[in-house]
Formats: sequence, structure tokens, C-alpha cells
Amino acid sequence: MQWGGLALGLFSFAIIGFGFFWVIRLEYYLGYLWWPYPLLVGALLVIGSLFVGSAGLSAILGIAGASFIWGAIELKEQAVRAELGWFKFNPGRKPDPPFVKLIKKLGAPHL
Amino acid sequence: MLQLTGFWMALATFLGIWWGHVGVRWLERTVTRLAPPATILTVMGLGLNLYALFAPGLTVAGVCSIIGITLLWDAHELFRQQRRVFKGHAPANPRNPRHAAHLTATGHATTANLLDREPTGCPVLPRPTSSALGTTANATKHQ
Repeated sequence: MQWGGLALGLFSFAIIGFGFFWVIRLEYYLGYLWWPYPLLVGALLVIGSLFVGSAGLSAILGIAGASFIWGAIELKEQAVRAELGWFKFNPGRKPDPPFVKLIKKLGAPHL
Repeated sequence: MLQLTGFWMALATFLGIWWGHVGVRWLERTVTRLAPPATILTVMGLGLNLYALFAPGLTVAGVCSIIGITLLWDAHELFRQQRRVFKGHAPANPRNPRHAAHLTATGHATTANLLDREPTGCPVLPRPTSSALGTTANATKHQ
């Protein structure tokens, strides 16, 4: 029997759950304008998965990468949810990310 | 040579999450009863995970299990999405009798998609304009 697949399925479930956690926290403390950075982390993880020897490690990197990429897409919607009062709203000033002008020009991805 | 296992897992994860958002919203909005699609998703999820145990390689097994577990969660998510609709956190479909009943009865459900806006950095109080059927909702800023 092949237990590795099931383990990867459970890992993806856990990492998606972790995605909910970090998206809420990152939006609360830093703001949705930081979206390119988790996107970059995710892309690097997926690219890195292409160059590791172990299939298992490659799978873990790929799953984690996809989850980070999705999280980056969720940040803008999370900001709206917080403004609507569905999640805790941070009234304090949030720090601008590096290259904020370019990020604002690009516009945040969302569903 | 490139190790493609991770790429296939990434694709399965991304598509699984995408369907879990877009597909579940569409399904919940369209069907009049949630139990049949939830049962189908559960059976498919269990079937894919069972197949993953006997799949020929790690890549096929991983993709099947990732999609399978996602579908199992989606079956549960259908009911959570329904709760969001009834609370007005997701747009109701007035042509769906399951939604229409809540549009008229509770006053919380709305056809407006309150998430379809740009973040402003200020808290916003959602305020439906009228009895919700076929109308949009305003969003009023706190002063």
C-alpha cells in the first residue's frame, strides 16, 4: 500500500489550514499591500521543488508553495472582510511594504 | 533532470483550493438541496483517497489524496457557505428557493456581494438599501 500519497494529502490539508491563520495575521499586522511577498515565497518554493532530489521533499515544497500563492490572492479579500467587521480590524497604521508605489500600481490579485 | 513531483502537487493543491472557493460558492448558489452534492463530494473524496493507497506511484497517489481531501472538506464547506449566505456574508441567489426564503424572512441575507469592493483602510458598516430581493447594498463609512 502507498501511504505516502495520503500523508501528502493530509499535509496539504494542514498547510491550507495554516494559510487561513497566516493570511488573517499578515493582513492584520502588515496589511494586504504585502501580497507580492508571500506570492514570491510561494513561487520560489515551487521553483525550488523542481531542483531537489527527493520526490517527497519536492512534493512538500510544491504543496507549501501553492498554498502561499493562494494566500497572497486571499489577502485583499481578507482586508475587506476586516473592514466589514467580519474579522478583527486593526485601526493602527500598517507599515508600507518595500516598493509600495509599484505594488499599488500593479493592483492586488483577488478572486 | 527536473523533479516534477512538486509541480504536480502544487497544481493539485492550487486547483483544489480554487475549486474549494469558486466551485463551492457556485454549487451552493445553484442547487436547491445541499445533501445530494455533499454526498457526491464525500463519496468522490473517499474514493480518491482509497485509490491513493493503491496508486502506482507517489505523484499519482499524492494528487489523488490532495484532491480527495479537498473534496471531503468541500462537502463540509457547502454548509458553511450556506451559513455565510444566510448571514449576508455571501450573495444570495433570489432564484434559489433555499436562499429566497431567507431573503424575505430574516433580513440578514442579501443579493449584494459585499466583498466586491476595494479596501479603503477604514471600517465599513454594510447597510442593505431595501428588502434585499434583487437590490444592492450600500456601504457606509463610520465617521
